[in-house]
Amino acid sequence: MERGFFDRSVGRIIFYLLVLLLLVLQLFPIYIIISTSFQSNLDIWASMSPFESFTPTLDNYRYVLFRRPFLQRIRVSIIVAVFTTIFSVSVGALASYGFARYKFKGNKSLSMAVLATRMIPPITLCVPFFMLMSAIGLLDTYSGLIIAHTSFILPFVIWLTLPFFEKIPQAFEDAALVDGCTRLQSFYKIFLPMVAPGLVVAAIFSFLFSWNDFIYALILGSSRIQTAPVAVSGFIGQFGPEWGAMTAAGTLVIIPVFVFAMILQKYLIDGLTAGGID
Amino acid sequence: MMPPGETGGIIQSKRQVIFMSEKKLMSKKKFSERFGHLGFLGPGMIFLFLVLIYPLAYSLRLSLYRFSLTDATQRWFMGLEQYIGLLTDAPFLQSLYLHLAFIVICVFFQLVIGLLVALFLNRDFYGDRVVRSLLLIPVFILPVVSGLTFRFMYNPQYGAINWLLGLVGFGPIEFLSRGDTAFISIIIQDIWRMWPFMFMIIYSGLQALPREPFEAVKIDGASKFQELFYLTIPMLKPTIVVAIILRTIDVLKVFTEVFVMTGGGPGRATTLLSIHIYRNAFSFFNMGYAAASSYVMVLLAMAISVILIKKVYA
Repeated sequence: MERGFFDRSVGRIIFYLLVLLLLVLQLFPIYIIISTSFQSNLDIWASMSPFESFTPTLDNYRYVLFRRPFLQRIRVSIIVAVFTTIFSVSVGALASYGFARYKFKGNKSLSMAVLATRMIPPITLCVPFFMLMSAIGLLDTYSGLIIAHTSFILPFVIWLTLPFFEKIPQAFEDAALVDGCTRLQSFYKIFLPMVAPGLVVAAIFSFLFSWNDFIYALILGSSRIQTAPVAVSGFIGQFGPEWGAMTAAGTLVIIPVFVFAMILQKYLIDGLTAGGID
Repeated sequence: MMPPGETGGIIQSKRQVIFMSEKKLMSKKKFSERFGHLGFLGPGMIFLFLVLIYPLAYSLRLSLYRFSLTDATQRWFMGLEQYIGLLTDAPFLQSLYLHLAFIVICVFFQLVIGLLVALFLNRDFYGDRVVRSLLLIPVFILPVVSGLTFRFMYNPQYGAINWLLGLVGFGPIEFLSRGDTAFISIIIQDIWRMWPFMFMIIYSGLQALPREPFEAVKIDGASKFQELFYLTIPMLKPTIVVAIILRTIDVLKVFTEVFVMTGGGPGRATTLLSIHIYRNAFSFFNMGYAAASSYVMVLLAMAISVILIKKVYA
């Protein structure tokens, strides 16, 4: 590696100072979210400075978890995310196998079409979803929201797992077929164990995308099916801005995202470029 | 036995040729080879048809009607008049303009910052992995949390950004109550959250570049600037194109952050096309009009994805 200005002694110090500045700028809003969540309302309103000393308190968390139905909202979010994940990954894995192992007319264009559906902005589907689901009574139900989430997560799962299926040598399957396995048997006896890591990655991303969704949950849910992200925004609208409660709820919602992001570090770039975090 | 040269009964694969003697097994295999994919692809494709293609077709039909959800007297067929109407509809055109401006400005700044930081950090230093992970954190903040936190920070009475401005001697600014500053504010939020994404793609591109050309131009005595503009950037061009397209598709979907930060206000200053569609559909219940507006957005998304598929996956 060649050595430029930033690699020599004085430059080195300037380099680290610049890195530090970058980190401070970038992490400042995160600090605001977390520190505000531990401040009493009095401290929040009293001063503009985010670095003023304050007495840390868990009041916001207590309020959010025990005096408002936030735990119930988290439960809704988890149920929707879990079912979306199970449905997307099982149906998606079958489809990936189909794309990877059968040569048929239009294979390439069909998989491209599946990929292209990921470009559709969610707001454009909200109008027909709302109309159709209200016609068949799916508004404000778990099924309605799970269907909506699967509509954008299933293509993502197919896209993500396809390379995993394609990587498995044809010889493995030929051997199984010769031994008398049917395609379906070869799918779950040979392929599933081998693509398991890919399916786990797909499952975690599916969970995250469903967990992060705001717009479908906002439009298709209301009183009964309200997810945690929608509830977070509720702390600002309903009774005047409750910043302490909002940041506490926001912190709680972010935690699983960070945990999963850390598990997934290796696959992060692939997953993000495929789906976008929205 | 089969005469030589006849292919029936022989399954050929890349690695082996297997002779199948049982006729029955043969015909069964053939059937499953020809139609088996329907079984595997069927469930997924039928589902996607029902939840994507059918709703889009339904919405296309809806877009040809005047259709009020709340007022049954306000329902009639308009045909293409709806779309022709959009061409002279000032609120629609303004929101389309704001949406496009938002995309262009955000993607531009994210690219510039992402590229500069990627070049800056593209060297060995102590803690480089940790720094990169920390920089990427905002990407994982949920848009709704990010939007609300910025709304809090922009507050003129107790917001942290106005505190920072106060330190350098500027009075508090009511960022989200003024049209011009509100639009800049929502852009700053998006740039903050997503430039690290651009950075990560470009950084991995930089890491994958071969070393030899750089050593060669160094021997030839190229300056740093020459190296950057005549070697690094041209070699990075494919990565940069992919990064721009991916970000553009993503920014096109913008809704949540703006919805919770400003709700489209003050006035219509931050009413992007997505907010415009939302308001018409779910505040005024003009479903036909909203469907037509959203079709303009579908067309935009399709245009971008055609470019993407041609550039990236071809």
